[in-house]
Parts: sequence; structure tokens; C-alpha cells
Amino acid sequence: MSMYIRVKRSKTTYFIQCEPTETILNVKEKLQNLIDQPANDQRLILVGTGEVLEDSKSLADQKVENDAVVALTLRKDDNEFEEVNIVRPTDFYQSLDGDGSKW
Amino acid sequence: MNKDDTVKLISAEGFEFVIDKKAAMVSQTIRNMLTSPGSFSETQLGQVTFPEISTTILEKICQYFYWSMQYASGKETEFHIEPELTLELMMAANYLHT
Repeated sequence: MSMYIRVKRSKTTYFIQCEPTETILNVKEKLQNLIDQPANDQRLILVGTGEVLEDSKSLADQKVENDAVVALTLRKDDNEFEEVNIVRPTDFYQSLDGDGSKW
Repeated sequence: MNKDDTVKLISAEGFEFVIDKKAAMVSQTIRNMLTSPGSFSETQLGQVTFPEISTTILEKICQYFYWSMQYASGKETEFHIEPELTLELMMAANYLHT
């Protein structure tokens, strides 16, 4: 295994094993098995940069590295995608981060 | 990647981490929970709740599981631990036999 990414939505984090050469679509297909949502209804956003990841490009192409945090959003009933929603724990240690850029 | 090959670890605050079973097995305690004979709910649902482990620590532990697998396969990187997490992390590691 060469790398993994952390896919987050609401209070859930999925650790997904992958290769830098895999495309975003490959990753969505892996997620599909876990969340019962077709790849077409998923949108992945790299949390560090806020960039929406494109299906046809590879992880390496879009600078998604090992241990990266990626936000998952799903298509709503009105065909639009929901906003990024990642709940973070509010315990003592998190509050030390301050700037909110660190995970 | 199949649903049956993953486990869900739940933190004290109810945050969920879905990881590969293989990764979770790095912990002897979790391995025992998932492989012990009899119909424990943990084995059946593939879900383990840790009321004593906070979300931050549990996420760090999951990252450690994956780091450990990478390390075992020959990729020698350092595992970074924030100093303020060390004590709580050590207590959790002791509990999990990790």
C-alpha cells in the first residue's frame, strides 16, 4: 500500500487506500461501496486548497498526497451539491490549533 | 474495497472512522474484539465504540495504523505526534495494545 486519504463528511471519516496514479473516479468507486451513493452523486474537494477534484485526473496530478483530507459532498434532491460540512471535535486539544488550518 | 472489509470505530463524542479491517488489526485489542468466537455485536456489525477515547486521539490512532502498514511495507517515514497529544495517546495505545 502506498498511500491513503481521509475523506470526511459530517462526523464521519473514511480512510481510503489508494495509489497516486489512481484517478478521482477510482476513489469515488471505492467510496460507492461504502456509502451506497453512486460516483456520479459524489463530489470530492481537497480541503487544503478548496479545489474541486476532477474525475478524470489522477491523485498525483491534483496534488493529493498521503494523509490528505478530502471533503465529500453529495448531490441533493434538487440536483445541486450540498456545501462542505465537516464537524470537528471541540475538545481541549483542537482549540490549541487556533488557525483552523491544521488537522 | 468492500464494506465487509472495513470496521467503524466510534469515538467518545460519537465521531465515526471507517478504516480497513487490516489496518484495525494492528491493534491486538481490536483484533481480539473482531475475531473472538461467539456472536459479539462488534464482530457482527464490524463496529466498535470507544467511550474513553476522544475524537482527536482516535483519528491519530487510525493514522498510526496506516502509517504502521506503510512502514511495514518498507516506506520509512516519521510518524509525527503533537506534544500535547502524547499522554492521552499513550494511554489509548496501552489500552489497545498498539
